Amino acid sequence: MQAKPRRLATRTTAIIVIVIVALVVASSGGVYYYVNYVARPPCASATSGNMKVGFTISLTGTYNVEGGKSLAGIQAAASWINDNGGVTVNGKARNITLDYYDDQSSSTLVPQLYTKIITQDCAQFLLAPYSSALTGAAAPLAEQYNRVMLSHGGSSDTIWTHGYQNVFGVLSPASSYFKNAIDWLVANNHSGDKLAILHADDTFSTAASAAAANYAAGLHLDVVYNDKYSATTQDLSTQLLAAKAAGAEDLLGGGHFDDGLKIVHQLSSVGWTPKFISLLVAVTEPEFQQQLGGAANLVTGPSQWETIVTYSPATAQAANIPWYGPNETQFVNYYSKQSNAGSPTYHSGEAGAAVVVLADAIQTANSTDTTNVRQAISNMHIMTFFGQFKVDATGKQSGHSMVLVQWQSGGLVVVAPDAVASGTVKYPYTGS
Amino acid sequence: MIGKPGLTLYGLFIVMALLAAAALLLGVAVSSILVLLLVYAALAYSINFITGMIGYVDFGHVLFMAIGSYVLATLVSYYGANPLLGVGLGALLGLVFALGIGLVILRFRGVYFAITTVVLVLAAYNIVLQFPQLGAGGEIIVNLKFQPLATYFTIWTIVLIEIVLTYYVNRSRIGFGIRAIKNNEDAASSIGVSPRTLKLTGYMLGGLFGGAGGAVYAWSISGVTAGPAFDFTFSLLMLAMIIIGGVGTSIGPLLGAVVVYIPSYFLLTTVAQAQPLIIGLLVIIMALFLPDGIVGLLRRSNEHLRLVLE
Amino acid sequence: MVAAELIVTDLAFGLMLGCVFSVVAHGLNIIWGVVKVVNIAHGEFIMLGAYGAYFLNLFAGLTPLETAPVDAAIGLLVGYAFYYAFLHRELRNTETITLQSEMVTLAATFGLSLFISNLAIILFTGNPVGVNYSPGTLQFGYLHVPIAALYVAILSVLIITGTWLFLERTLIGSTIRAYAQDVTATELVGANPAKVASLATALGFAVTMAGGALLTVWIPVGINPLMGALYAPISFVIVVLGGPGKMWGSLVGGLTLGVVIDVVQAFTTVEIAYAAAFLILIPVLVFRPEGLLKR
Repeated sequence: MQAKPRRLATRTTAIIVIVIVALVVASSGGVYYYVNYVARPPCASATSGNMKVGFTISLTGTYNVEGGKSLAGIQAAASWINDNGGVTVNGKARNITLDYYDDQSSSTLVPQLYTKIITQDCAQFLLAPYSSALTGAAAPLAEQYNRVMLSHGGSSDTIWTHGYQNVFGVLSPASSYFKNAIDWLVANNHSGDKLAILHADDTFSTAASAAAANYAAGLHLDVVYNDKYSATTQDLSTQLLAAKAAGAEDLLGGGHFDDGLKIVHQLSSVGWTPKFISLLVAVTEPEFQQQLGGAANLVTGPSQWETIVTYSPATAQAANIPWYGPNETQFVNYYSKQSNAGSPTYHSGEAGAAVVVLADAIQTANSTDTTNVRQAISNMHIMTFFGQFKVDATGKQSGHSMVLVQWQSGGLVVVAPDAVASGTVKYPYTGS
Repeated sequence: MIGKPGLTLYGLFIVMALLAAAALLLGVAVSSILVLLLVYAALAYSINFITGMIGYVDFGHVLFMAIGSYVLATLVSYYGANPLLGVGLGALLGLVFALGIGLVILRFRGVYFAITTVVLVLAAYNIVLQFPQLGAGGEIIVNLKFQPLATYFTIWTIVLIEIVLTYYVNRSRIGFGIRAIKNNEDAASSIGVSPRTLKLTGYMLGGLFGGAGGAVYAWSISGVTAGPAFDFTFSLLMLAMIIIGGVGTSIGPLLGAVVVYIPSYFLLTTVAQAQPLIIGLLVIIMALFLPDGIVGLLRRSNEHLRLVLE
Repeated sequence: MVAAELIVTDLAFGLMLGCVFSVVAHGLNIIWGVVKVVNIAHGEFIMLGAYGAYFLNLFAGLTPLETAPVDAAIGLLVGYAFYYAFLHRELRNTETITLQSEMVTLAATFGLSLFISNLAIILFTGNPVGVNYSPGTLQFGYLHVPIAALYVAILSVLIITGTWLFLERTLIGSTIRAYAQDVTATELVGANPAKVASLATALGFAVTMAGGALLTVWIPVGINPLMGALYAPISFVIVVLGGPGKMWGSLVGGLTLGVVIDVVQAFTTVEIAYAAAFLILIPVLVFRPEGLLKR
């Protein structure tokens, strides 16, 4: 084959291409150099002015729903703190500034972005991204660069098995998610129900579901089906059919927001109506009910927090635990001032709580030094609007309790545990 | 070797020396950016062996990267091995897999080869998901002390070796045979070139250095997760780098890595999607109008450059 | 012990899924068979078809079945544009695709795939969406068949049959088939190769985008800009299984894949089922590279 005649003269094209490439590379390099070495000397704000808290959050991609709620929660908490005296260290009150980027729900981008946040933006403290998978990708950087990192959206127990010293969780670990649902079944004469567990294969869903299977088996419940599916699997019909064929009556599992939608959608198309459904993450989002309509009714789900729980300075005093931060009403109020926030869900609460706990730890330590602050966090036992905060030796949360919620007549009701419930579980699920 | 080493090789050595100096003198912030550049360059050189030189488009090259990443992660995380051992074994396993796979699939021509490489990645991903020892859907964390310079100079050495190897292959009789295959495989065998051996060698070199690059990548991000490890985006970026730089050349992969990576780093926090978009556009333009990339364009535009750039 | 009912149900689902896979791959088959070009960006056009179904559902309340013809019309236009942008130069004076042009189109369509998927992320955001279309299920004994999946499967087979009829029974269709066999000869009998090739390409894209619309029934929350990364390899495997250029090959390949994926799941895990489905490609290429169909 002979060569095709070129449209432009080769030399001209060459010059044009070289110029463009050189411009792009040079301008990127130039701007980078200017921004980092001329306009602002590296990390000069470390000892003055504001307290910079850096993080990535999923504003686009698979976790965009949960990520958006988390970001609004963080912003709400930070605003409240800044309006109420800021963070006081050595007698000087400082405001919290937030330095964040969209990680697009991609764990590949997380290390690059956190490196930038730490080495160039000079963040002094870190929050983890949303989801255990992304938190897992971010945590090593907290260790490498020695910054305290609070996990608000990563609950998988495995995060705390690597010996990290700087990573602490505010939310209850994944292994506790299904406990309330299983306890309810046992306590209400349904321990004869056969259980099916179908979950996404990411680290969080696997941890939560594996713990559920163990816990159920320990209470002598019959788990007749236990399987996982990968993120790319869109069609769960065959697995749901297999669960049904195994005789399952109840269904636990799911993953993140999309997984909940997937499962409920396909339950109706394969013609299976379990008597009891409990799904991770998705159920607590208003969009779950909006998109599924009647099929969402009577679906239950574990929640880290709802706006109607009763943590307050009074409860803290009664339990002899120090209180810090906004109360429910104040948090919800500040939350509503954030743009595009919708109504707060537990993702908002846990993320806001992370900021609150961090601020309190810094004040308690009266220092911005990583070692002092992490020492303070390890020893803290306080109560916030989100619940109790106390970590174990590995940094995993041990003081916080979860609740079980259920959609009833278009509204979300807290149905367990009895101490905080505002309603009771309606059984069985009818699919409408 | 045909002739004495030319300006290209010395020029590349100078660039590598500058990169080394940058890491040593400009601090962690700079070296953390450049280490990823070197990883991309290493991967670009590795795909250059099979796709750039021999002309077999390997869309599934990320497979070798994943192999390297998993080897390093399991060795360090379960056996506490030295990461350098992980890199070495990752490279070795990449080579071995390339040999095994290549023996079967290199007989497929053109498009069929390309599709098969894609299928292999998807199959491998699904198989890895079966094994909890490989993290199943979760991640294997590599918990090491932070050693930015060790990581940096490991990948730096790998890229240096690749540059020298690429340069010598291009200049030697092997290179002659490879170019013959790329031009017309059947004619090549009739003049005494052995396509089977050369193709397999190229693919194995791709597997070797792909594995090494993948291992260092896992080291630098402290872990490996199934989904991202088998993500086609890496393969596509590697291809884009050599298409833009100049397929088969010695400068091409490094140049392509710079053009692809440096602006992307800057765009990462503004409009993150603009970077792959621009790359896609560049690849289309290059493929249609400039199939030999920037290096090829420069060579065709000026007699002196043609003699100097390789 | 795996219940017989489970296997039968999985088989039924696998066949219906397979029909949709077939139509999704069919466009690729047409283009590959006639113009001998493999469009790496195939997955992105499926994605665009799926988004078409989503938006038409969102703004005009159309079901995926009604969207398919609209997407097909758009696909025709897109196909013509694609031909003149990418293929015209390479094909104008040649008899067949050479290795060099093959690499060029592979590389160019790969660039296009990067471009379109990232443009989609910018325009539509990366958030997965879905189309809500559930007209209920039919019950045959223990078998619950979702009506949506049934409709879509039937429509898929109709589309494939329709293209077959077009190619076999019309004059234009015969010209296209002639072009696929021998370009120069076609020119000698008076046909304009550019017109034939562009029509075939347009037809291929029309079918692809219609397929994308029909696919949404199986992916209630899975429409996202990167979905092409899954459906393109599936399409490639299907076309190779059936044999590029053989119209019924799409159906053979698609049904095989759908059944393997769904039935193997009854015995092992989902991941093994997918891995097996993909790996079928290799023995086929080694032992029967022209595809499973006889002619």
